[in-house]
Amino acid sequence: MEMIEASRDLRDTCAIVGIGNSRLGKVPGVSSLDLIVEAMRNALDDAGLKASDVDGILCRGPDDVYSHHQMVGERLGINAKFSTTVTNGGASQILSVALAVMAIRHGLATTVICGYGRDAWSRTHANEEARVRNETRPPSQLPREFGPEYGYYSAAATHAFGATRHMHLYGTTKDHFGQIAVAFREHALRNPQAQMKKPLTLEEYHAQRSIVRPFGLYDCSLRSDAAGAVIVTSRARAKDLRQPPVVIKGFGTHNNTRGWFADDNMVTTAAKQSGERAYAMAGVGPRDVDTAQIYDCFTYMVLTQLEDYGFCKKGEGGDFVASGALRMDGALPTNTSGGQLSEAHAEGMLQLVEGARQMRHTYAADRQVRDAEIALVSGHGGNQVCHSTLILGRA
Amino acid sequence: MTEPRKPLPRPAPESLPYWEAAAQHRLDMPHCQACDGFWFPPSRTCPHCTSADVDMKTVSGRGKVFSFVIYDRVYHPAFATEVPYAVALVELEEGPRLISNIVGIPAEQVRCDMPVAVVFDDVAENVSVPKFKPL
Repeated sequence: MEMIEASRDLRDTCAIVGIGNSRLGKVPGVSSLDLIVEAMRNALDDAGLKASDVDGILCRGPDDVYSHHQMVGERLGINAKFSTTVTNGGASQILSVALAVMAIRHGLATTVICGYGRDAWSRTHANEEARVRNETRPPSQLPREFGPEYGYYSAAATHAFGATRHMHLYGTTKDHFGQIAVAFREHALRNPQAQMKKPLTLEEYHAQRSIVRPFGLYDCSLRSDAAGAVIVTSRARAKDLRQPPVVIKGFGTHNNTRGWFADDNMVTTAAKQSGERAYAMAGVGPRDVDTAQIYDCFTYMVLTQLEDYGFCKKGEGGDFVASGALRMDGALPTNTSGGQLSEAHAEGMLQLVEGARQMRHTYAADRQVRDAEIALVSGHGGNQVCHSTLILGRA
Repeated sequence: MTEPRKPLPRPAPESLPYWEAAAQHRLDMPHCQACDGFWFPPSRTCPHCTSADVDMKTVSGRGKVFSFVIYDRVYHPAFATEVPYAVALVELEEGPRLISNIVGIPAEQVRCDMPVAVVFDDVAENVSVPKFKPL
């Protein structure tokens, strides 16, 4: 069979020229669609573009919004040459940017807006019924067998299986997971938009209530009303726009569609192949990455992806995070906005937003990763097996 | 007031033979007559070789705990008297992995790679749920 390598001719051809987010956290009375359009409006303002300059829409929202991209286009008041809803869960948002680059390179669109918005806090807290149901998925997606009869519920449990196995194989501990939660909370305290406002100590982490062992409350990401958006266009068009372009150096995807419970997938995730492809397209390796924005639905997922991306060896993620590497002054400042554990959860979209902002060097010194030239962003989701990686750089 | 009942499985069409076997205290797995492979959950095409020549075959019922989680929190009122309880991913000797409960020992004593064997919990008339106990 012919070997097809990652398309290096896509390297550095497009850029992110607009970045925006909605209000984050608890935004009652605003639909997920209005939140994503709020983020998109902010991205347009940031870029100095009008909605009518956009001819592509790639987006995602809650799974019960049918033909989501159409509803976004209607609210922006535009038709699109190229638009669709991406349904790879938390891997969708980087995939949208990848599709945007391919569409732009092949002439299907010139300027593509990518975004994600959800109203997960309102859905689970808006009233007593929502609080009891505590479910963001539509009923049609809930399992009917091989789960409920055993008292097996929630994405937390599914990921916790991976955490247990990793702990068994490599001696990873709750202390290691705690290091991740504490580092990201410290980052959130530097971010005035973050949902979490109070410091978190390792002692408080260990005193947390159990969600599903080995996970406690602070191992789990937030329920948020939140949206983010970015605008992608060619490097040539980017020159005429307001902001310094953030260059899209490379991307890669891999989906372990045989399933999270198949093979070794819960311990060595699709971040491995997804990352290898992104590194190859970008022409960089893990040592070149200055800041990482890792999909942190649960603490464990950060640890295992750091290994899969080659920042340390498989099984050494615990020591890596315990070294302080993830902190602002560490070897690999990670989830520098607080991540989904402490800033807000928008299915990876805010990791993309933060990675791009770090490449602009416009943050105050306490939030800026000093001299950062390369950012790696990860996306994970779609029944835990879809993965996407984006590598961004400065122009 | 009657006690809340645990959810009963609501089988997909392709799962019915699995649940019918379980009701008779047999653990049957989907099996390929072309390549002799097993898999789970049930489907009508072999995921090892895409043959449609598939049937159900009774397996040993022995396996090991691949991984597990422990619930302290009640997500459904019928499990209020069971917490803490273990939900495990059991890997059968024949290869398939399936979600189940580990019974017969405290949840805290469940370990990865622990050998286990199937037992059947009769939860309703003509409905039995396969669970696993340590060997």
